[in-house]
Amino acid sequence: MQTRIAAQVSAATDSVPWYVWSCLLAVISSVVGGAWDISWHESIGRDSFWTTPHILIQLCGIVSGLSCGYLILSTTFQKNSPVRAHSISMWGFRGPMGAFLCAWGGVCMITSAPFDDWWHSAYGLDVKILSPPHVLLALGMTGIRFGTVVMIVSEMNRAVGEYRARLEHLLFFAFIFLFGMTIGIAQEYTFRFFMHGATFYFVAALIAPILLAAIAAATQHPWAATITTAMYTATHLAFTWILPLFPAEPKLGPVYQKITHLIPPDFPLLLIVPAIVFDLVRRRIGGWNRWAQAGALGTAFLASFIAVQWPFADFLMSPASRNWIFATGDIPYFAGPRSPWMRNVFLSTEPTVTAFWVRMGIALVAAAIMTELGARWGDWMRRVRR
Amino acid sequence: MPREKAYHRGRRENRDHREDWERARSFVIPSPCFMRSRIQRFGAAILFLFLALPLSAHVGSPDVFYEGNAGPYRLFVTVRVPQVIPGVAEIQIRSESKDVRAIRVVPMRLAGPGSNLPPTPDLAAQSKDDPQFFIAGLWLMESGALQVRMLVDGPQGQGEVSVPVPTSAQRTLPMPKSLTVLLLALMLLLAVGAVFIVGAIVREGNLDSGEVPSDARNLRARRAMLVTAVLVAVLLFLGKAWWGVNAADFQRRVDFFKPPAAALKLVDGRRLEIRVERPDKRAELTDRRSPAYLRLSEVIPDHGHLMHLFLIRLPELNAMWHLHPDSTAGEAFALDLPDLPAGRYQVFADVVDPRGYPWTLVGTIELLQIVAGKPLAGDDSTWSGAPLAAAPAADSTNSPLPDGGHIVWQRPPGDLKAGVPLEFTFAVQDKDGRPAQDMEPYMGMAGHAEFVRSDMSVFAHVHPAGSVSMAALELAQGGMADAAASAQGPMSMAMSMPMTEVGPVSPEVRFPYGFPQPGEYRLFVQIKRAGRIETGVFDAHVSQ
Repeated sequence: MQTRIAAQVSAATDSVPWYVWSCLLAVISSVVGGAWDISWHESIGRDSFWTTPHILIQLCGIVSGLSCGYLILSTTFQKNSPVRAHSISMWGFRGPMGAFLCAWGGVCMITSAPFDDWWHSAYGLDVKILSPPHVLLALGMTGIRFGTVVMIVSEMNRAVGEYRARLEHLLFFAFIFLFGMTIGIAQEYTFRFFMHGATFYFVAALIAPILLAAIAAATQHPWAATITTAMYTATHLAFTWILPLFPAEPKLGPVYQKITHLIPPDFPLLLIVPAIVFDLVRRRIGGWNRWAQAGALGTAFLASFIAVQWPFADFLMSPASRNWIFATGDIPYFAGPRSPWMRNVFLSTEPTVTAFWVRMGIALVAAAIMTELGARWGDWMRRVRR
Repeated sequence: MPREKAYHRGRRENRDHREDWERARSFVIPSPCFMRSRIQRFGAAILFLFLALPLSAHVGSPDVFYEGNAGPYRLFVTVRVPQVIPGVAEIQIRSESKDVRAIRVVPMRLAGPGSNLPPTPDLAAQSKDDPQFFIAGLWLMESGALQVRMLVDGPQGQGEVSVPVPTSAQRTLPMPKSLTVLLLALMLLLAVGAVFIVGAIVREGNLDSGEVPSDARNLRARRAMLVTAVLVAVLLFLGKAWWGVNAADFQRRVDFFKPPAAALKLVDGRRLEIRVERPDKRAELTDRRSPAYLRLSEVIPDHGHLMHLFLIRLPELNAMWHLHPDSTAGEAFALDLPDLPAGRYQVFADVVDPRGYPWTLVGTIELLQIVAGKPLAGDDSTWSGAPLAAAPAADSTNSPLPDGGHIVWQRPPGDLKAGVPLEFTFAVQDKDGRPAQDMEPYMGMAGHAEFVRSDMSVFAHVHPAGSVSMAALELAQGGMADAAASAQGPMSMAMSMPMTEVGPVSPEVRFPYGFPQPGEYRLFVQIKRAGRIETGVFDAHVSQ
């Protein structure tokens, strides 16, 4: 107990460690690079590996890899390192848990570069997000983002007072990138023309409740889900509204759409509504057993999300949404006249009505399970000390 | 790599030239043109016996060769199409005139959507040693019927020409051994690293500063590592399976564009019916959604005929027929065969789909002797003579014609090399050895040439304009004409392409082409003189 108090006092007088900032910088680099890169592919088309967005993405791996590598080496070989007391050990090396995760993510990202380059030369330049080298890259970026979150919670759990509050704000900030990463990986299933299919809601149930429950459990903040989702939505909207301000034109062909500016990401999913509902419900069911809470929160999430996203999808398909705010008129240059982006029709992801309702049922179960998993993950994060 | 550097430098220099391009597009003067070509393939056939033999894509000759005018500038263009799509095509351009200042290239669809919105053009790099030679690397993003437009700038103003480029993924490139080793090592590091990181986290992650892990924690960490190892193994297995699915999907795209096998059927002993062989009904349903799906009822005329059929007698290539079947009901073509000796025949059937993509149906067929067959008429022609010698083929440059005249191949000195673009020049002489004065257009052109490798792995039907399909070329020029029709302002730019040969046809016929691979080749050169179609035959050994 004395050790813990000492650590807390020490943390209370400390400023945020340099390696947290450097990892956050790396994460921001990949966030900007990632959004820019997708927009680049949709507006200009890749013509070289060395585009600015690609460099920004790879910079994430390099910056986090180097800074965490240095941190691990210095912690290992400097016997009086202040980090040593709250480090973990692996293969004879010592360092904060988050540093190992970030370093692992950095190696993943660096590995993905030659893999991706070969993939392009073997199978052609891809215009899809989900390919094995891209998933490896995403895994690396997720590792770095998760490592950064772990670094912050480790510091936060050892801190008290104002410093802890500052770290909690930083945690919300770092967590939105994990949120964005997960949603980004799944975006091929969340285009607007899928929004009247059960698969869309199943995917949403897989990715959102786990994150909402985790941040709520990790921070114990009454509005944790709302704050994180609001920050994520604001960040996403910033990309949606800022990227089109930059002129662009395709460098690859054939070109099916006239492009004059960078194509923005789709308007964000209306997750803010289920996040608010999530926070409101969880404060009323605190005494329930874990699975009952998970069931209630999962149901609340899914029901409220369907209630807002389903009609909103109709709006997104309408001409009224084709403006700078909702950006549904911005179509990638490679989308032909028969592409769903152009036709503005919903695509069926289930062959029958029965299949639709079965998958919706699965989505409900998934939402509950992922909520519970998220709560356990959050509980674990609350206990992280190293 | 200098070429790569030139390519990227060209891209950088090119970013500010969009306005030039838009201006240039609006000044195009439409001009009819014609030419035709073929990129060809292999296949299969039926008689009373039936042999399906799909071989390499585009009958082994995927690169595009073109010669024509971009306004006042005459260009010889070679497009080395990429092995995978999307991929980078290498565009080599030789200008006949020395004063061309710059050439920009841009890829588009040949017709329909995607054919009227050019991306930013790429500036071709001009060789310092040879200012008449330009090279560019150009991303081609789709398989199918594309075109590469070239915008030429020089002291005589601007010129524009459009070269049809049929693209398709041809094969999957293997992973280099060094990269395989590197990626395997990194995969091992990441997999083992993940297991040990999880172990360390479970063992020490929740301990207070300075606290030592208990035995129970160590045990829990080992269990967590075991579970993680299993999970990582499962993930790797699933990842490999997913990779396999991606590779299979890519292979499917490669297969879409492989030469379709010809289903050949002999009716009543002399009428040959030609269909596209469809071995798998399910594949047919899937393929129907593909841009590569070929329907014989929809093909478009290519220099006057819907199909050009070549029968080449095997194995010695000592007889050849160039025929023109008619479209019939049931997605088929058919014709009554002329007199033919019994034997085995290689069949190449050229068609062009409505998108402008040229296809060659390929097959072989065993025929009994046909007597009292349908006499040759119209543009149909035949040749028979000496067999192609076994390797190495005896090079020949002089081919006698039935009237005592000759076709002389003005072959460049030295060995013929694979992969080198050449201009094949043939002089047609009368029986007195003078340039023939009775040359006429044959199907609208000065001549037709078929390049056939001894093993049938290469077949290319080439014209004075090169290996491009004339039907595709007409579609491309149609697109340019549309652009010009919608243009505003003065027309300061000329686009001229040789269309149908008008007036006297020169006794010297030239064909731009390059042998795709080494081996023994037979060249059939077909011209028309005083109403007679005549064929000269030349053999060539091509080295690496």
